[in-house]
Formats: sequence, structure tokens, C-alpha cells
Amino acid sequence: MSYKNVIQTINKKFPEAVVNECENKGQREITLAKSQFHETMGVLQKNPDLPYDLLIDILGIDYTPRTPRFDLVYVLLSTKDFSRLIVRLKAEEGEEIPSVSSIWHSADWAEREVYDLMGIPFSDHPDLKRILTWKNFEGHPLRKDFPLEGKDFDKPFDPETIEDYT
Amino acid sequence: MGIENYLQGENYMVTSLTKLVNWSRSNSVWPCTFGLACCALEMIASTLADFDISRFGSEVFRPSPRQADLLIVAGTLSKKMSVMVKRIYDQMADPKWVIAMGSCSSCGGVFQSYAVVQGVDQIIPVDVYIPGCPPRPEAVLAGLMKIQEKIRTEKLDQRPDFTG
Amino acid sequence: MTESKKIYLNMGPHHPATHGVLRIELELDGETIVNATPRIGYLHRGIEKLAENRNYQQIIPLTDRLDYASASANNMGYCVTVENLMGIEVPKRAQYLRVIMAEFARIMGHHLWIGTHALDIGAMSVVFYAFRDREMIMDMNEEIAGYRLTPTFFRIGGVAHDATPKFIEMVRDFVKWFPKGLDGYHKLLTENKIWTTRTMDIGTISAEEAVNYGLTGPSLRGSGVAYDLRKAFPYSSYDDFDFQIPVGDKGDVYDRYLVRMEEFSQSLKIIDQAIENLPEGPVNVDNPWIRNPDLDEVQKDISALIRRFMVHVKGPVAPEEEVYTAVEGAKGELGFYLVGDGSEHPFRLKIRSPCFYLASALPRLMIGHMVADAIAIIGSIDVVLGEIDR
Repeated sequence: MSYKNVIQTINKKFPEAVVNECENKGQREITLAKSQFHETMGVLQKNPDLPYDLLIDILGIDYTPRTPRFDLVYVLLSTKDFSRLIVRLKAEEGEEIPSVSSIWHSADWAEREVYDLMGIPFSDHPDLKRILTWKNFEGHPLRKDFPLEGKDFDKPFDPETIEDYT
Repeated sequence: MGIENYLQGENYMVTSLTKLVNWSRSNSVWPCTFGLACCALEMIASTLADFDISRFGSEVFRPSPRQADLLIVAGTLSKKMSVMVKRIYDQMADPKWVIAMGSCSSCGGVFQSYAVVQGVDQIIPVDVYIPGCPPRPEAVLAGLMKIQEKIRTEKLDQRPDFTG
Repeated sequence: MTESKKIYLNMGPHHPATHGVLRIELELDGETIVNATPRIGYLHRGIEKLAENRNYQQIIPLTDRLDYASASANNMGYCVTVENLMGIEVPKRAQYLRVIMAEFARIMGHHLWIGTHALDIGAMSVVFYAFRDREMIMDMNEEIAGYRLTPTFFRIGGVAHDATPKFIEMVRDFVKWFPKGLDGYHKLLTENKIWTTRTMDIGTISAEEAVNYGLTGPSLRGSGVAYDLRKAFPYSSYDDFDFQIPVGDKGDVYDRYLVRMEEFSQSLKIIDQAIENLPEGPVNVDNPWIRNPDLDEVQKDISALIRRFMVHVKGPVAPEEEVYTAVEGAKGELGFYLVGDGSEHPFRLKIRSPCFYLASALPRLMIGHMVADAIAIIGSIDVVLGEIDR
């Protein structure tokens, strides 16, 4: 009941925002458009009916050779009645996504990891740097065209080639 | 079984400098704490009650590399961490030895990927390899005994740090 | 007039008190911390990329090495997710055995936490007692699965093989003995004046802020939010058991300590109920393409030989769907987002690790305290680097 109220509130305020809404294997899922994405996420966090206050995870999926190439998935949880919501957003290669780290603090490191491993840049992020790999790492490891063993796997490894943030 | 068995009736004993130095070095090998991943837990377990490592002479694990003789690399070495391993190894004072504990530091282990160095011996010279994932604490003690054996059969003027 | 300059102190990746290779850059004004920046990635092994090239059964040992202090709990999360995706129903005896292994893993993880936390603050004798108990649980792991630290006992559709009578006897002995050991820890620490002075009102975080920073598990429950996945989204017949969730109120280091101490006794209660009511039956699902046939069946029947070969080489196949499932790991909500593509490899596996978000909240917890309190805060958060860096 309150979930339907939330969807109606979003549809009234931002009529073009919700592209698709479905239920898949018992979990609720909505797909958003890129316009007014940041405002819609703000409504999802702050609405009085069912506030989704815990951002569990952000991940990127690479669907090469489909265009748009990436799918960004946000997993949200409401501590009021412990229900989950999955939010999807389709992104092109090189397209900048507005960051939600001003809404949920947990998005700070999660977006850095998506940038590092998938190469999706975020705008308005406080500190967008690589987090799991090092500063002069070339490429983005989790893309489908990056080989598993990386470059130069058969040559001996030289630690002088690593340069990190100080 | 102490030094008294070697006294020949009188209060003197004849030995060579090599044997004396090697005997004292092998019985007091102090490791440096370098636990990286899961093998570190088995290394800690080998220092505590059931499998006491102090009875082999490794009484304390020194956190500072300048006060340690032995570097036990326990766990997966990722490429980002390899710079630190080289720095810590260079900071240790001679004589020093290295044990590569576990499969990940011997040869890369299960993780054959873009971010893992396939064996710590690509960066620093290793004396003893202990296989296992993770090796039992008894295996760590067996590796330590092999290092002690290696130290006892060394010749002083053939060590890499000999400057005489 | 003297002016003060800021000191930059690097608690580097090689440090005895950071529970692994965590690096924190501290900016100090005298002894007080003004800013703290954690830097991670020193144990990044590429597990998610490796998982895209392996069969579903071959990923189970990789998940063992995520939170290596409590290994079986990670296996539980992964197997429950895959069974959710493929629509497999696990038999009851296997579910109860899984619950016993997962709760033992939680107790092992908490033992490592209390040993190292007390060692960092200065109470050195606790770590010896904690590892004595850990040895008992590792003996049980060895009895049932063959390995001490990372028993890869779980399989898709159940567990590897049945429990032996010696294992059941060892579990019953442990259940009888452990309350005395727990009493020993309480006598050493809970009412100790030095312990309470060093842990009360340190690293306080309120409930709304904790939720906003993405904390889950004992760190969130210490601030007052009663979110436990075993009660909110029950899995693997946890709703058959009767247990409670301890919740704190202030959210400081002492509250998180009390929450975890109470979780010891609740986990023991679950294990007691599970081992007394262990149902009879098979320990693996009856599907011929998922269950690994036993050796004596293989040596008599040609179809069992073919099936064993196919299970080892190819394994189960997933439909083209996506699912997110989470379980209560020892540190918080351990979630797996699995995308299947009709073949025997996953298309994408994302691991939601609880310690990642706990480490990102460290600046908020540490600013304003002194350097010695920073060590207490890192200990109370209980990070394991294998899970952060994957």
C-alpha cells in the first residue's frame, strides 16, 4: 500500500521519471530515466510513506555489444518495514551520471568502486579517484573486453611500474 | 642437551667460528609480522597455546623490520602491496631469511588474475616455501625447522652480505 | 607565541593493529585527529572477474576466502543466492547442517574479534583464551569437512556429505562447555574499570547516521536499529529456531562490545536447538544433474559415471535472470547480486561486503578522538580486509 503511494508521488512530481516498474522473483524493481534522476532518488529517500533510507549497494553491469552499454543498479532498503527496492538506470559509454553521495553517504565509496572497475564517471562526486587498483592502472578491469590476466602476464613483474596516490 | 655435552672434561671447548655463529643464529630466529590474508590466521595460531613457536627460539614477533631476522610472507601478494614488500625487505638488517607461506605467496595460488603477483619470489629471494591453503600450524613449524637446518649448514664467507 | 603545525601520520599497510593491510592517513593536531583517510586495495585479488570464468561449483572455494575469519558464513550466502536463481529446494537435514556450520563460523569470527580487540587495547591474556576456543571449533571443522580454516563444506543443493556420529558428539560437548568460557571473558573485561574507561563514549554514532553511512550487522545494532537478516528475510529454515537479537542504545564502542558478547550466547542457543532436532533425510537435492553421485554408485552404474563427469566439468546451468540475496554474515549484511545468462558461468557476480561500508565510516567515527582511541575504534568495527578488497 505505501509502496504504491511512493510510486504515485513520484509520478505526480516527475511524470517522465519512471520508465518501467515490475516485480521479479519476489523483489520490486523500477527503471528510471536519466532526466531528473537525482531528484527522484531524493524523493525515494525522504518521502514520509516508505523512506528508503539504507543504500545497500551500487553496481554496474556491462552488456556489450548492446547499446546503451552499461546498466547501473542501486539496491535500496527501508528500515521501516524491511522491504527492498531495486532501481536501474541505463548508461552509455562515457556518459556522466549524477552522484547520489549527497543523499546517502554510503554511495561515496561505492561510486568510486564502480568508476574504478567499470569506468562509469560520476559528476558532483567529492573525491572521484581509483580505490581498489592503483593510480596508473590502465583500463577498467570488469569490462568484458579486459582480459582476465591483464597485460604482460608472461613477463616477470617489476614493482617499479606501480605508482599510487600518496 | 646443552653446551655442557661438548666440554671435553675440562672447562674449555674447541669449535669453529662458523659452527658457533650458526648455532646461535639458528636458535633465535625472530620473525617479522607480515600477515596479509588468511594464512596470517594460521601463523597467529602457531604462536599460541596449542602449537607454541617460542620453543623453537622465535620468542617474539617484532613489528619493526629493523629488529627482525625472518620475513614470513603469509598471504596473497597483490601488485599494489608489492612496493611495500620490497621496501620492508630492504629495511631488514643482514643476516635475513624469507619464508613464503601458503600457495598464494609461493606461486599465486587460486588467484590467477590481473592484480596478483604470481609468487613473491618475483620480487625478493625466498629460502623456504611452505605449500598449503592455508598450511597447518605444524607445517609452519616444519618450515621453520628447515630454515634452522639451512642456517646450520651455511658457510659464513659465502653469504651474500659478506664484506670481508 | 608558538603556532601549532599539523602532523601527517601514516598508519601504513604494514601495522600490527590494523587487522590486515588497511592504510589510514591521519592528520593530527597534537594528539587529536583532525582528518582521517582510509586507503584500501592492498589485497585486491579480482575475485569478481575470476568468478566470470568459473563454473558455479568452482566459485565456492573463492567465496571461502572473502571473510576468512568466519569462512562458512560466506559459503552460505553464495549457495543460497545460486539456489534462489536456479529455483532449487534444499532438503531439511542439509539446511540444519548449514545453520550449524554458519553459526560456528560466526562464533569463530567473534572470537578473533575479541582476541585482537583486547590485545590492541592492552588486555593481552584474552587472545590466548579466544584462540583456545577457536581451536576446538577448527577441530570440528576438520572432523566434518577435512579442513581447519576454510572448510568448503557447502555444495549447490545441499552439503558435501553427511555428519558423522563423532561430529554430533563434539558439538554436544562444545555446547555444554562454552558457557563457562564465555563467563571467563565477561569476568575479564565487562566490569573492568580500565576497559570501560577506554571504551565508553568513544566512536559514538547515532541510528540515523549509521543507516545513512550504510552500516549493517553488530555495528548498526549497537546504535539501536534492530535489523538482522535472519529475522527480516529468513533463509535456510532460520524461522524454525527461537532466538533474539541484541540491540544497544548509545552506539559507542562499549555498546558494540556488549552486542557481540550477547550474540555469542544466541548463536550457541541456535546450535543447541539445531543439533537436538536434526531431521533425518538426504543431504543433497535429488536432481540428477546437480547432485554429485557417490563413488560406489559410480563404480557400478554407467549413467552415474556420466553424471559425475558432467557435474565436475560443467555443473548446473542458470536461467537468464538476475537476483539479489543477502545473508547475515559475522560482520553484517553479506549480499550477492547474481546475473545468469543461460550458461554454466555467471555473467556478473557482485559481492556486497559489509566491511567495505564499515571502513568508509571510519573518518566519521575517528575525527575528534586521539590516536589511541583510533585503535579502539578500528577494533570495535571489526574489519577483515579480505572482504573489503575482494
